[in-house]
Amino acid sequence: MGNKQTVFTQEQLDAYQDCTFFTRKEILRLFYRYRDLAPQLVPLDYTNKPAVTLPYELIGSMPELKDNPFRQRIAEVFSEHGDGSMTLDDFLDMFSVLSEMAPRDLKAYYAFKIYDFNNDDYICKSDLEKTVNKLTRNELTPEEVSLACEKVIYEADVDNDGKLSLEDFQHMIVRAPDFL
Amino acid sequence: FLCDAEKDFIVSLASMSAKERIKAIQKLPETMTKKREIRNKVLNEITKQWRHRGAEPSCWTQSVQGAGVSFRRFGNTISEYFHLLQMWHKALKIIGAEFGTSVLSYFVFLRWLLYFNIFSFLINFGFITVPQFLAAEPNNLSFTGLELLTGAGYFQQTVLYYGFYTNATISKIENGPSYNMQLAYIFTVGIYFVICFLILLFSMAKSFCRNFLNPEAYTVRASKLLCTWDFHITNEKAVKLKQKNLSTQIKEDLTEVNREVIDFSVMQRILRLAVHLLAWVACLGAAVAACTGVYFLSINNLKLFMKGHRNYLESQAAMLVLPVVASLLNTLIPFFFSWLGHLERFQTPGQHIYVTITRNIILKMSIVGILCYYWLNVVATSESQCWETLVGQDIYRLVLVDFIFCLLGSFFGEFLRRIIGTTIYVSLGLPEFDIARNVLDLIYAQTLTWIGILFSPLLPGIQMIAFFIVFSVKEVSLLRNCQPPCKVWRTAQMKTSFMFLLFCPSFLGVLSVIGVTVWRLKPSEGCGPFRGLPSMYAAVSEWIRILQSYTASKWVVWIYHNLITSELFFFILSSIVLIVTYLYWQIIQGRKTMTKLLHNQINN
Repeated sequence: MGNKQTVFTQEQLDAYQDCTFFTRKEILRLFYRYRDLAPQLVPLDYTNKPAVTLPYELIGSMPELKDNPFRQRIAEVFSEHGDGSMTLDDFLDMFSVLSEMAPRDLKAYYAFKIYDFNNDDYICKSDLEKTVNKLTRNELTPEEVSLACEKVIYEADVDNDGKLSLEDFQHMIVRAPDFL
Repeated sequence: FLCDAEKDFIVSLASMSAKERIKAIQKLPETMTKKREIRNKVLNEITKQWRHRGAEPSCWTQSVQGAGVSFRRFGNTISEYFHLLQMWHKALKIIGAEFGTSVLSYFVFLRWLLYFNIFSFLINFGFITVPQFLAAEPNNLSFTGLELLTGAGYFQQTVLYYGFYTNATISKIENGPSYNMQLAYIFTVGIYFVICFLILLFSMAKSFCRNFLNPEAYTVRASKLLCTWDFHITNEKAVKLKQKNLSTQIKEDLTEVNREVIDFSVMQRILRLAVHLLAWVACLGAAVAACTGVYFLSINNLKLFMKGHRNYLESQAAMLVLPVVASLLNTLIPFFFSWLGHLERFQTPGQHIYVTITRNIILKMSIVGILCYYWLNVVATSESQCWETLVGQDIYRLVLVDFIFCLLGSFFGEFLRRIIGTTIYVSLGLPEFDIARNVLDLIYAQTLTWIGILFSPLLPGIQMIAFFIVFSVKEVSLLRNCQPPCKVWRTAQMKTSFMFLLFCPSFLGVLSVIGVTVWRLKPSEGCGPFRGLPSMYAAVSEWIRILQSYTASKWVVWIYHNLITSELFFFILSSIVLIVTYLYWQIIQGRKTMTKLLHNQINN
């Protein structure tokens, strides 16, 4: 059934289909997008699981990501080494979570990690300030940014520890129907 | 090395069905390598469990597993092809990327309405039109091109209108299976409306549940900051606009210039109230004036039609006056409404949008309402030969002229406006896509189509073609002429409101019109599948009477008498629904108190 492809073994494709939200055709299409970023680095044959990692600069130049103000954080969250460089597995994982078929809780979990700049499992005030700056392109003064962040923490912090934990964040997402 | 929790997790995954297991693995917030590891461990666990069950040779279990795997692969391929059936998938992705989800919601709504029309056209064509072709009478009218615009003339004697359908029981072979056209007509239309009702109800309930459940004010600011970034957008200009917009909002919030907080003196409040009242009176007055105009124009039209045809071309042109006037009113009066809306100063932009939408929907629905009144009270009781065909032709012309005005609106509102905005008045800039106005136009067009299904069974097919063309034209116009929206648009709430508007005044109104037609009005004597009967519904009662004499179908008669026509049954059903609603409401109240208690507990 379907076209014969030589990039992956059937077991590898099955594993990818079970672990991401993509169909076989979409996985192959994503592989070719990954390869187009650096044709000389990425081999056409993945059956023996080569360890190929593309640096962040190539990932961040993709048309889907290049205008997103959070592209660096997105790449860092999904990359294996935490520095934005991605293997094919990370690449597929990233697009699987960003696709429209991923459920909201999964997206909320990763959104939390993206906004958590210092990776301490809490969104503290400095994380929020960086988020606001990225969202508004440095158009607000530092006092305005600080005030806005204080208000956010005041409103969303349920357990009153001065920072947002994953549960606070998910609690807020449940009430926000516009979250994408 | 497996820790206990992970071991338990893997065992629980192994005991689920394949589909649930895959879903659970997909939802894990882990890296791909970890997910693959867990998947392999689960598969090993499953083979271990099979072996533990014993007495099964390993090649049998392997072949069963292999069959399961290949079946899943087959299912995946099928779902891939099913995805292709979803129309315009790529176009919608591009629109969402360039303009965001607010504009995307209009196009998704349009595609959804298109599906309704395709479904209606298919069942009407299959169950009503195709049998009619077998029993067709010859058409001896001539075809001039003008019929495409007016729907009269040659088309009068075709399957397009109610009047052409026979009331006979069609059978090609002697003593062979026969096809009762009356029952087919009424049941096809009836079942279609029941299915539509259920689909609309469930979509609305689902959307309402997701989007309106908890608009508690205290998370508004936080969620604005963290949840409203539209990750769909990949267009640089759109991203810059959204950022600017977000920063303006945050600035406004901080300086608390938000009008809600400002205290008005009593005098000012009375003044504002008076202004609002005046604006409402003006709007309602405009709507009433439009309706009166439409009513008298249509009465005049009928008189002219009954008097006879003087000049063929003139009478055809005269028939087009009513639809053109109705569409003009529908296009121009909303501008008056939005001008009024700018004069009154609303407290929040959200209020402004909702009030504008309410006024527009009142205008459109009252025009449709007055037309229905005219059709059901004046045309149905006039001495015309086939009043249903007349109504069908009126609706056909209305739909067609509305379609033409929609295209013209796109041409003037977007194309010319862009030309003016970039060459003459450069300060105006590019136009924005007016979502509310376009969605209300769609709702109006769909209302007309639904009313017309009974009188012109192939009308959904025409509307289907119209929607196709509208989608393509709007898409091209959007991508070439418009800029991404500047204002914040609470998409999820708007989607729910539009679905609600489609259900509540539009679909329910259509149901009442169809109900009155089927139950109360006398079908014309000389044409149509219900000729000679006292009402269209009489066909069903006749059929039940015939069934009573057959013992095999006594249960159908029993259901009819005791469930469908009995008032007691509906009373019991309504009471049950009310009781269930009350119980759910109480559960929600209880949960709210619980949440508050827990919240306080966490705080202290």
